[in-house]
Amino acid sequence: MFENIKWLISPELSRECEEKEIVVSTRIRVARNIEGIPFELKMKTKDAEKLVQMVKSALEMNFKGKFLDLQKLKPLEKESLLESHLISPAIVKKELPTATFISEEGNISIMVNEEDHLRIQGLSCGLNLSNIASKVYEFEEILGQELGYAYNENYGFITSCPTNLGTGLRASVLLHLPGLVYTNEIEKILKSTFNLGMAVRGLYGEGSEIKGNLFQISNQHTLGFKEDELIEKITKFTKMLIDLELKARDVILNRARYELEDKIFRSLGILTSARLINSDEVLSLLSAIRLGIGLGLIKDIDIITLNEIMLVTRPGNIQLYYGEILEEQERDIRRADYIRHKLAKRNPASD
Amino acid sequence: MLCDNCKKNPATFFYKDVSGEQIKEVHLCEECARKKGIISDKKLSPHEILQKLLKSVEKEDGQIVCPICLLTLSEFKKFGRFGCANCLKVFEPYIKTLIREVQNSEKHIGKKAKPGGRRIVEIFRLKEELRRALEKEAYEDAAKIRDQLKTMGVENV
Ligand SMILES: [Zn+2]
Ligand SMILES: [Zn+2]
Repeated sequence: MFENIKWLISPELSRECEEKEIVVSTRIRVARNIEGIPFELKMKTKDAEKLVQMVKSALEMNFKGKFLDLQKLKPLEKESLLESHLISPAIVKKELPTATFISEEGNISIMVNEEDHLRIQGLSCGLNLSNIASKVYEFEEILGQELGYAYNENYGFITSCPTNLGTGLRASVLLHLPGLVYTNEIEKILKSTFNLGMAVRGLYGEGSEIKGNLFQISNQHTLGFKEDELIEKITKFTKMLIDLELKARDVILNRARYELEDKIFRSLGILTSARLINSDEVLSLLSAIRLGIGLGLIKDIDIITLNEIMLVTRPGNIQLYYGEILEEQERDIRRADYIRHKLAKRNPASD
Repeated sequence: MLCDNCKKNPATFFYKDVSGEQIKEVHLCEECARKKGIISDKKLSPHEILQKLLKSVEKEDGQIVCPICLLTLSEFKKFGRFGCANCLKVFEPYIKTLIREVQNSEKHIGKKAKPGGRRIVEIFRLKEELRRALEKEAYEDAAKIRDQLKTMGVENV
């Protein structure tokens, strides 16, 4: 039924990588526009069509992957792409022709005709900014040679919005910080991020609420620094947060070990026995399991399985997984089903 | 614990300073934290700063027009978006401060655009020429354009 999309799980997210319990994922996006073509504000349907065709040719001549015309996708398919962070809410709302390219490995996606002509994005598990950045820039360079970017000596790459001028680079990490939440330290720490030129958001970007103890940290400015410097800065800041998170966990273990263990194993109990469950409850239960794995209390579930559950149980993805449109309650039943089966396949419990 | 800065008021604000090589724990009172700009009443994101700055519209803004896309400076201030790559050059004298406030910088020092052949742009231009040649039944010209396209790796046109 949904023959167009089969990328539910990006192979990149199920790879082994560093710090993958606390750093759920790493993302890089680079905004670029093509010289000689009007920007979003002044773009006509004809310009948008031409741009989609040009980008398609440029990609086909150089890279392997799937080029999708977003206008031809079913609403559910778009929702799934959104939940998998492969497209943005802004591009879904657009009336002009839009497209997205997904690389063969599934870790690079390129949106055509979002706010900028091109939004080249890379996604990876764990703390992996420089690796994923170098992949993003492979695509960025070739597309630049083939198409020619709008560029200004003083202000760098010209973007639709002045907030993206310069490098057009946004680097972000999605962090799981339950220790800092339970010890109430998170507020204090997040206050300081702002002054370091970084912003904190929820799982699905700007304005989205914090769910499942997941925090997205990204740079605020795009002008006036070198790409590697910024990546280094975010990496360093992330490592500091990891360090603080681990210390907070020690504090909890010292003061309230049984309460914490109880919370973790009750969460596991619910996930392995529930018959009806909504996607937000899953996120918060998964956070406890994730912490349990991090603390070495749960040894028979791995982070990769958790990442998979986190993605597949989102409202759009669960329907795509079962290949049919499902009402809310039906979704809650199937979601519970899916999780039970997924967790039943694990090795015998350790103790 | 007393404030590290004034050593008078009790420290109520703690943070880890990661700007140097070593991570330092800093303890400040509310007042000093505010003075140092570590906390402020209004923490505006670049987007919010942009929205605020765009409100200062001048009478002559309607007369400043980008000749390529016809966007006026007042329209730029309304939408906060450029209409094309050329707008930046045209509006630059009027929006220098705005960019500095929004970005905390006024100079790009990152990767530069590499000059390239713009092969795809050229192919699309040739295809358009071919279409026009065929329309005019100028078959000799069309054949030449086809050959050109072939050398650029484009078959079946
Ligand atoms: Zn003080
Ligand atoms: Zn313009």
